[in-house]
Amino acid sequence: MDHWQYLIVLGACLAITLPLEIFRPGVYRQAWRATRAVLPVAAVFVLWDEVAICAHVWRYSRAYITGVTIPFQMPIEEVLFFLVIPLCALLTYNAVSAMLVRFNRR
Amino acid sequence: MSGLGYTVPAVLAVLAVGALEFTALRTGLFRRPAYWVSMLIVVGFQILVDGWLTKLSAPVVVYDDRQTTGIRFPFDIPIEDFLFGFALVTAVLLLWERQRERR
Repeated sequence: MDHWQYLIVLGACLAITLPLEIFRPGVYRQAWRATRAVLPVAAVFVLWDEVAICAHVWRYSRAYITGVTIPFQMPIEEVLFFLVIPLCALLTYNAVSAMLVRFNRR
Repeated sequence: MSGLGYTVPAVLAVLAVGALEFTALRTGLFRRPAYWVSMLIVVGFQILVDGWLTKLSAPVVVYDDRQTTGIRFPFDIPIEDFLFGFALVTAVLLLWERQRERR
């Protein structure tokens, strides 16, 4: 079970933020806009992460990751991190924006 | 604490995101209350998630202490992670906002 720890954390982040999609206009409902916001930034951060791993600035405990990696030594979990966390942030921003609009209308 | 191979890039990332907004994108994101409220919520959840990932008792991510300031707060989170997270999330929100303006 321990090997799934990092993936489970990321899954929990997605699950907890999913209900925020009820606020309009939504993030998943604007998939192309979300893609164009998330992917360019993820690419830069994946590059940074790769350099940091190669330079031994940080590493990942083998006990808590699946062992699936992308070149060069990057755990698949860390790649997913750069997709999941931005999505959670967009969902939060989407929800907060919708709530503030409602609040200001009162 | 010698190389600061995490601290220096983390500070540069925050500066780069600021420069991106103020010289190129000019979305006005930093003037939106929704942005700052969202960032507070994001930091709150970051402390939970990052606290779990970096806890020294059973860390998922292990840092070379020579590459950071060595300051870990709250829990065992290297403070550099907050700059890293700020840059990551803000950059994504900037690109999201930029697409609003094009419409």
